[in-house]
Amino acid sequence: MKQMSKKYAIAVDARKCIDCKACMIACKVENGLPQGFWRNWIKDNDPNGGMHTQFQPGQCMQCDSPSCVSACPVGATFKGADGLVVIDPKKCIGCGNCVTACPYDARFRNPETAIADKCDFCHHRIKVGEEPACVETCPTRTRVFGDLNDPESEISKLLKSTKHIQIINPLINTRPNIYYTEQTALLNWPKEPTLPGNIHMSSQFWKGSS
Amino acid sequence: MPKDNKGGFTRRRFLKVSATATAAASIAGNASVLHALAPGTANGAEIDTTGMEKKFSVCDMCFNKCGLIARVDKGKVVKLDPNPKVAKSRGLLCARGNAGIQRLYDPDRLKTPLLRKGARGEGKWQQISWEQALDLAAEKLLKIGEKYTRCGTLFMAGSDMQSKFVHRFAEAYGSYNILSHESNCLLSRNRAFLDTFGVMPMPDVLNAKYVLMPGSNRFEALVTPDSIDLMTAMRKDCKLVVLDPRYTKTAALAHEWHAIKPGTDLAFFLAVMHVIINEKLYDVPFVENQTYGFEQLKRHVQKYTPKWAERECDIPFCDITRIARELAAAKPAAIVYPGRRTSDYTDSTQIRRANAMINALLGNWDQPGGLVLPRKIHLGSIPFEAPFYEDNPDDRIDMGRSTMMFDTEGSFKHARDAVIEGKPYPVKGWVTYKTNPMQTGANRQKTIKMINKLDFMMSIDVTMSDTAWMADLVLPAATYLERMDPVSVQQGISSGPCLVTRDPVVKPLYESKSALWIIKQLAKRMDLGEHFDFTMKDYRKAQLKGMPEAEAALKNDGVYQVGGNYAGLHKGFKTLSKKVELYNQRYAKAGIDPMPVYRPPKRVPTNRFRMVVGRNAYITQGSTTNNPLLHELVPENSLWIHPDSAIKLGISQGDRVTVSSSVGKQNIRAYVTKKTRKDTVYMHSGFGVLSKGLRTVYGSGACIVEILEDKNDDISGNMAMHETVVTVRKI
Repeated sequence: MKQMSKKYAIAVDARKCIDCKACMIACKVENGLPQGFWRNWIKDNDPNGGMHTQFQPGQCMQCDSPSCVSACPVGATFKGADGLVVIDPKKCIGCGNCVTACPYDARFRNPETAIADKCDFCHHRIKVGEEPACVETCPTRTRVFGDLNDPESEISKLLKSTKHIQIINPLINTRPNIYYTEQTALLNWPKEPTLPGNIHMSSQFWKGSS
Repeated sequence: MPKDNKGGFTRRRFLKVSATATAAASIAGNASVLHALAPGTANGAEIDTTGMEKKFSVCDMCFNKCGLIARVDKGKVVKLDPNPKVAKSRGLLCARGNAGIQRLYDPDRLKTPLLRKGARGEGKWQQISWEQALDLAAEKLLKIGEKYTRCGTLFMAGSDMQSKFVHRFAEAYGSYNILSHESNCLLSRNRAFLDTFGVMPMPDVLNAKYVLMPGSNRFEALVTPDSIDLMTAMRKDCKLVVLDPRYTKTAALAHEWHAIKPGTDLAFFLAVMHVIINEKLYDVPFVENQTYGFEQLKRHVQKYTPKWAERECDIPFCDITRIARELAAAKPAAIVYPGRRTSDYTDSTQIRRANAMINALLGNWDQPGGLVLPRKIHLGSIPFEAPFYEDNPDDRIDMGRSTMMFDTEGSFKHARDAVIEGKPYPVKGWVTYKTNPMQTGANRQKTIKMINKLDFMMSIDVTMSDTAWMADLVLPAATYLERMDPVSVQQGISSGPCLVTRDPVVKPLYESKSALWIIKQLAKRMDLGEHFDFTMKDYRKAQLKGMPEAEAALKNDGVYQVGGNYAGLHKGFKTLSKKVELYNQRYAKAGIDPMPVYRPPKRVPTNRFRMVVGRNAYITQGSTTNNPLLHELVPENSLWIHPDSAIKLGISQGDRVTVSSSVGKQNIRAYVTKKTRKDTVYMHSGFGVLSKGLRTVYGSGACIVEILEDKNDDISGNMAMHETVVTVRKI
C-alpha cells in the first residue's frame, strides 16, 4: 500500500470514560444525524451492575484494510488521501453491502439521505485544524486524536509510551486505527463481516490476528 | 490560565494550521447541523466551513456555567463547542451542554405571553401582548401589596445569571419572601460546614490522594471542575471510595463501593471518628491548636465503635476501620467530600457536620488536596436602597419553622406550608423565574394546594414547565443564547476563579425577553423605575470597574481567568470560638445536639422500600427532559428495584408498576437491577409532567415529587427527600 500523507487515529483510555454521552450528542449535532441513529457509541461491560464497570467508547475504526471498501460495488466508499475511509454521497447507491461488511457495526443507512453513513472523524473539522467533535467535547479526555505519521503528535507519543491494543475479531483483521489502552475490558464484540459473494478479499484481510 | 491546566488551547489545535485559519473569525463547522432546521442535507458532502461566526458564551443547561463557543451560520446556531480557555470547565461540554442548541430551537418554546383562561392547570391559554401582560402583572402585584402587604408576594428565582434582578425587584417592591432552588438542594451542607469552620470551603479534588464520597454522584451529577479533576486524580494515584445505596456510575468507577443502608450515614462517620481518634491517627497539632471541643468529641464517639456501626449501616466493621485508617494515612490530601445536593434526611446537617469534623481531624485545611478556600474576586455593582414599607410584617413567612435557617434563602418546604396555612400572615402572590418547584419540591399535591391559595401567580420561563403550567400569567423568557447577562464569578479550586458573561449569540426568537427587560417594564409601571435606571451594559460596566483587563479578556477569550495559588488563603475561622467547632456552642445554646448524635432511621417494613433521589448526566431535574436530543438518551424514567425484591412481588423486567406513598402514587415501568439495594428503590426526576406544553416528554414516565413526602432537615429547613417509604405493586 502506498504511504498516505496522514494516518489519523484515536487512542482511547476506556478507564477514563464516565459514560456521560457528550461525545454522542456532540457528534449528532455536528453531523446532523436523524433521530435513532448514532455514529459513535459507548459500550458497557457490566450492564447488571457489580463492583466495577468500564465504559468503552467507539466509532468507525478507519481501518487500513477496510472490509466496507471491499464490499462497496460502486467505489463510493474509499480510503482518501489522508487515510480516512469516506463515503462519496454522489456515488453511493444505498445498497447496504458496507453496513453488514463492517465487523464493528459502525455503519448504518441514513433514512434521510438514503445512503450509507458512519463516522469520518469529522473530516470537515480536521481540515481546518480542529479535533473531531467527540474528541473535543469529552470531559475526561478519554479519546486522544492525531496523526500517526507525525512522530511529534500527542497520539504518536502516547502509543509509544503506553501499551495499547486493537479490538479485532480473531478471524478477521481489518487493521483498525482506534487503539485502546491494554486495560480495556470489552474485547469480544466485533462480529464477522458478511460480504457480497463476488467480492474477492485480499489475503491479508482474512489473516487471523492471534 | 495556569500552564498545568489540561485542556489548554494548544492541545485543541492539534494541527499546525496557518495562523490565519486559527485566528480568523470563520471556523470549521457543518452548515447543516440542526436537522430540524435543515433536513436531509447532512452527511458525506464536503462542508463549506467559511463564513461562520464564533461567539463566546457560557452554558445554562445546569448551574455549572461551562464555557462555550457557539458557531453561527447566517443567524442560526449550528453547534456549541467547548471553550478551551475556561479552566473551570476544563474545555468540556457535556451531553446537556451539547444539546443546548435544542433549548434554543425547542419547538415547545414559549412564544408570547399567555393568560390563563380555564381552571389552574387545565391548559387553556389566551395569547396576549406584552403590554397587556405587564399591565396586568403590575396591577395584580400592586393590589396584593395593598391588601396583604408587600410581603404578600413570594418570589422564587432559579440558578440564573439574571436571577439577581428578580431578587432586586422583590426587594424594591418590598417583599423579603425570596426563595431560591437551594432549599431543595444543598442548604444542609452549607449549614454544616459553616457551623464547623465558619466559612464554606471547597474540596481540592485534583490533588487529593483519597476521596471518601458519601452519597455524591460526581460522575453523573457533574460539577466542574470536580468531576473531571476526580478522574484526573484517580488516573494518578487517588483512591475513590463511594458510599451510596445505589450503584451510580460514580460507584461503578470507584475503587470501592459500599451500598450503605439509607439513613445510617452518621453511624458510619461516627465510627470513622472513633477509629481516627482512638488510634490517634488525627493531625495532632491541627486538632490541638485549631479545633474546639476535641475532648468532648473523644468521649462522645467512644460508644460508636465500628462493630456497632456495622449493624446499623450494613458495612463490615473491618472495612469501616480500614477506610478510617487509609483516610488518615493519606492526610492532609484526603477528603470526605462535602457533596452538593444534600437534601436527604431530617438529620442531614448533622450527617454533613460529621463529614466536616472528619476533615478537621485530618487537618486537611487550606492545603493542596484538602479543603481549601476559594479565591475571591470582588465585582462592583449598581447599589440601590430598598424602600421601607411600614405595614410589612417583621420577618419572612417561613422563619422560625426550623432552628437555623438561612434568611437569604428560606425554605421552600416551610414557605409552602406557611402559604397553605396562611400563617403567620397571608401570602397571595407568587412570581417564579426559571425554577420548577412543581418538579423539584417533594409532595407535588401540596405545591398544587399552595398554588390554589394564591390570588395571582406569574411564571417567567423558556418553556411551559409544570410550574408555569399552574400559573395565571406565563411570560416567555429568552434563552441563554439570546441575551446579554451580567458578569458572574465562577469558583473552582484547582482551576482558580474566573469571570464569565454572556452576549447574545443570536437575536431572541419569537417574543421572548430577558428577565431584566421584564423586570424593568414592571418596575416602570409600579413606580419602582428608579431602582432599575440602568442598562445591562451599565451594570456590567459597574461590575468590572477598575478591571480593564477583565473586560478585554472576556471579549477576547470569553473568560477572565484568575490564577495563583489557592492554598494559604485562610484568615481565621469565623465561629464563636474562632476555631473549628467540633463541639458547636451555638447549637448547644439553641437546644441542638452540639455534636452529631446517631438516631436510627425508621425501619422499612418487609416488601416496602425507601425511595432515594438522584440523577444521571443527561438530566438537570425538570428542565432538560423535554429536550429532543436528551430525550433520545432517556425517553422515560423507570423504577430501579432489586431482582430479589422484584421476584417476591412478581415483578419482571419492564413490567408496569404502581409506586405509592402516603402522599401520592404514580405508574412506571420497573427496571429490575442489582444496581440498588434490596430495600431501596429509585427513579430519575423530571418525568411524569403535567404540562402538555412539553410535548416531547409529556406522557413519559412518572413524577418522583408526586410520591416523595415533604420532610425537612431539622436544622436548616432544607428538604429531606430520602425519608419516604413506598409500596410497589405490579399493575
